[in-house]
Amino acid sequence: MSDYKSDSSDTKGAKRSMDDSISKDSKRVKTNGKEKMADYNPYLAHMYEGEGKAAGQKSILDTFTRQKTTAEQASKAEDLDVNPWTNQPHSQQYFKILQTRRDLPVSKQRQEFLDMYHSTQILVFVGETGSGKTTQIPQYVLFDELPYQTGKLIACTQPRRVAAMSVAQRVANELDVELGEEVGYSIRFENKTGPKTMLKYMTDGQLLRESMHDHDMSRYSCIILDEAHERTLATDILMALLKQIAARRKDLKIIVMSATLDAQKFQTYFYDAPLLAVPGRTHPVEIFYTPEPERDYLEASVRTVLQIHATEPEGDILLFLTGEEEIEDACRRISLEVDDMIRESDAGPMKVYPLYGTLPPHQQQRIFDKAPEPLRKGGRPGRKCIVATNIAETSLTIDGIVYVVDPGFSKQKIYNPRSRVESLLVSPISKASAQQRAGRAGRTRPGKCFRLYTEKAFKKELIEQTYPEILRSNLANTVLELKKLGVEDLVHFDLMDPPAPETMMRALEELNYLACLDDDGELTRLGSLASEFPLDPALAVMLISSPEFYCSNEMLSITSLLSVPQIFVRPNNARKRADEMKQQFAHPDGDHLTLLNAYHAYKSAEQGGQDVKQWCHEHFLSFRHLSSADNVRQQLRRIMETHGIELISTPFTDKNYYTNIRRALLAGFFMQVAMRESSNSKVYKTVKDDQLVMIHPSTVVTSPYDWVVYNEFVLTTKQYVRTVTNIRPEWLLEIAPVYYDVDTFEKGEIKSALTRITDKIKRRQVLKGSR
Amino acid sequence: MGLAAAKNKRRLGNDPNNTKWSRNTDSFGQKLLRAQGWEPGQYLGAKDAAHAEWHTEANSSHIRVVLKDDTMGLGAKRNTGDECTGLNAFQNLLGRLNGKSEDVIEAEQQARDDVKRNLYVEQKIGTIRFVKGGWLVGDVVKETLAEEDEGLPPSGSKQDSAATSSAEDTSKSEKKSKKRKAEKEGDDKVSKKDKKSKKRKSEDDVDSDDSRSKKKAKKSKKSKKDDEADAANDSDGATTSAVESKKSRKEKKEKKKSKEEKREKKEKRRKEKASSSGSGTETGDSISREKKRRKGDKKDKASESPAPVTQPTVSASSTSTPAGSGYSTPTISDSTSARYLSRRRFIAQKTMAFSDATALNQIFMIKS
Repeated sequence: MSDYKSDSSDTKGAKRSMDDSISKDSKRVKTNGKEKMADYNPYLAHMYEGEGKAAGQKSILDTFTRQKTTAEQASKAEDLDVNPWTNQPHSQQYFKILQTRRDLPVSKQRQEFLDMYHSTQILVFVGETGSGKTTQIPQYVLFDELPYQTGKLIACTQPRRVAAMSVAQRVANELDVELGEEVGYSIRFENKTGPKTMLKYMTDGQLLRESMHDHDMSRYSCIILDEAHERTLATDILMALLKQIAARRKDLKIIVMSATLDAQKFQTYFYDAPLLAVPGRTHPVEIFYTPEPERDYLEASVRTVLQIHATEPEGDILLFLTGEEEIEDACRRISLEVDDMIRESDAGPMKVYPLYGTLPPHQQQRIFDKAPEPLRKGGRPGRKCIVATNIAETSLTIDGIVYVVDPGFSKQKIYNPRSRVESLLVSPISKASAQQRAGRAGRTRPGKCFRLYTEKAFKKELIEQTYPEILRSNLANTVLELKKLGVEDLVHFDLMDPPAPETMMRALEELNYLACLDDDGELTRLGSLASEFPLDPALAVMLISSPEFYCSNEMLSITSLLSVPQIFVRPNNARKRADEMKQQFAHPDGDHLTLLNAYHAYKSAEQGGQDVKQWCHEHFLSFRHLSSADNVRQQLRRIMETHGIELISTPFTDKNYYTNIRRALLAGFFMQVAMRESSNSKVYKTVKDDQLVMIHPSTVVTSPYDWVVYNEFVLTTKQYVRTVTNIRPEWLLEIAPVYYDVDTFEKGEIKSALTRITDKIKRRQVLKGSR
Repeated sequence: MGLAAAKNKRRLGNDPNNTKWSRNTDSFGQKLLRAQGWEPGQYLGAKDAAHAEWHTEANSSHIRVVLKDDTMGLGAKRNTGDECTGLNAFQNLLGRLNGKSEDVIEAEQQARDDVKRNLYVEQKIGTIRFVKGGWLVGDVVKETLAEEDEGLPPSGSKQDSAATSSAEDTSKSEKKSKKRKAEKEGDDKVSKKDKKSKKRKSEDDVDSDDSRSKKKAKKSKKSKKDDEADAANDSDGATTSAVESKKSRKEKKEKKKSKEEKREKKEKRRKEKASSSGSGTETGDSISREKKRRKGDKKDKASESPAPVTQPTVSASSTSTPAGSGYSTPTISDSTSARYLSRRRFIAQKTMAFSDATALNQIFMIKS
């Protein structure tokens, strides 16, 4: 072992002196290493245990010089029988994985990567999906940064929680370490890292939250922004922040990893950073357009899938649709048709799987099942068909896809600062994502992509790039975070895609009304506290002010329930029963209270020792979402406790129990109030913005209340407000006097209604005074 | 859709875009932004940013989208009823005014005539699909004429179906179909191919909520009856060699047909383009491919020739039932068969009138 070490230190010296000699030198070392390997007998591993331990004090890594290592050295360290990070012998599985790792395209350019990494502070790395960049690059950095020497970590951000978790697990396996020890992950409401952690996968949002308390990100020596091309809100802000931090901290290395599409933009943005491109393992994909536009893209997509099944050779199909309902419907129809096809002609079997975000994980896993076998020996091959939202576009990689059917639509979040609606709307995709979709067909072998639109439509109707999230979201939360991050000048904050000025104005205005920003635009104490919560400012403010209404326990529950997807399940085949069950929890005053009732019932069922899963199933509640709400509640509760926010409740027997909750809702949501138009019993008008809305049919509210507070404004075929609760206008004047200053209102029904109420209150006070 | 479309009433508020708010220059947000040096009309973000060249209008104002509440495909337009009709008659004149050469105009006129004629034939008679039965060489019927011809007939139908595929694709598909041929029987294959082309064509079919196979099943039940009813009218001696039966969906036929013709033209154009441009880039095995491609082109042109009844690979908009249902004539679905009945009666009356001298005299008001 000791010989070996001296050898590698030689290499190190050579590296310093001359480039030419490295290759020779390291070659020699390599052969030496092989001899060593021959000496070492893995079957006698237990015999070497003592030796391993002795060597444990000094790992091969000690001979590395930080930020001066070579690929050769690193791969040698990887080839050892002892894990250089833990000094434990490697498992058998490790070498198997190592072999597949070495076959990845990115592996061939390890040295090139290291050279470039050493030469620059910011590096743009472009690798098509399948190049192995997400798993390998952080490990290459790990062997170069040697975190245990500096005590600084390596962070790799992911846009999605699932990706962060699964990639961390994968890399832990690859490095042959326990997940949560040397390699860990950190996502919202879950932190699986330990004191030994060197490489941390995390969501981009999580890194952003961390940097609120550590403006220089001083814990990290290298930050890798993965999937930067997805341009999530958090990634965009991180990029702008890192650009600033990089100027302050010259020792911080930044790698921006993206798919090929707009790498140039990233380069320009990061002061013309050098670019390293690694080809993916992709095959050509043949593109087909329709000659004419389709009248009905749903119908056309179902037919195309069937046609592929009937006429094309073996290979799985991926169909992109927009939403859960559409997907489930298409799945049903395709399965039916295929059954018919099998009965009537000699077609092969086909399994159809849906895939969308709210699908439970075990069902999402099913897409990785093997395609079914032919019905009889030598029969037509079986295949699977995956009907997915645009999750399958970038984030999930499904092998075996040969045919892609692309109708050209996806559901996208759009925010309109004027009407303050943030909604998911079906809209045409961009050219970039159309190409991304097509690329999914060429993962295993040459594939085909059937686009259900004309070439002309592709060229003329599709935008170049999908708009980044920052242009499509409400920025209230972001602005609050930025303020907390110490960004003073919001106008000149160097974002890659600056948002529309109106969106920024709206966010500032909302924060001002919520008293998170003072009139000079400075962060208030409330604002600072609110930013501690990983919640929308309105929810955070509601939670913080809830003790004033003696119901912080209840508001905590409601907040958690509003932060998870809808807990009420309404399956298509049992809508009526589901609605009846929901009625059991219904509170006549509104949906927020109904949510709370359902949660309380869930908790008491849990405490009663019942089988909660079964109970949820019977009551048409989503166990998954309820338990995640429970989890969120615990996390929020911890934050509340650390900041000394009291947790109190009004006794349930008190007649003000529900009134207090309704009032507390207004503390955060006073800007989301609608008044019924007197003329029409169903149409409401939102306060100040004067948008005409209806109450979403999912509500339990039956009596037409005059004033309601709503949780969200959604745009489907009509403008709806969802999750509403009845309130009284007097409370508005009392709880949010600034916003409900009658003088600031335009002439109209709402103003006159508010004026009437003000007068009423005044009269009452006068009466009281005269008594 | 016009008047027939579902009415979708939506009440709009007085100020759906909330311009009241956006025009308000005193709002807190605007004041704050101005205080930090922003002027209306400017982007936010760093001054003189190098990446500003990528900024779009989405960086200056919120993203506007059209609310989509139907399932219309990308690029499809609702027929608002304001499209010009009857412009065809002036196409020649307009073409000349636009400086097109006589040849081009003639070709276009030819194409339009083809469309018209095909449309007519399709509507009145329907088209019949045939299955390859081998080649007659001397006195013997051979399965194939020569090795490279093997793939041709299916390639024709493939071209129809994979409308936008490049010429290169056709050669690929030929290979593929050859392969499949090995495993499949002829009938089966053609029916599959047909299904494919049918599929393409019927994608724009509106009445498609019914599952296709259901329709098929229904049709095959019905077809016996229809067949008898229409036999006199349609068979006209042309059906003898046909193996496969066909269905035409008459409801949307006109539209379908015209679309299809357009597509055919487009395809042809594209193919020509592809073969001219592709030949430059292709290497290696390009010669054999080129051959095939040319053949494909020829075939394609042939398939455009307006003789649908005898062309096995003619691209008809009619759909096929699976092989084995046993009818060769296009059976016309009942909505139209009623029309055919009355029409036949009318024709019969006319022939009778013509054969009757006195009646003729009456018609032409000839006093005898």
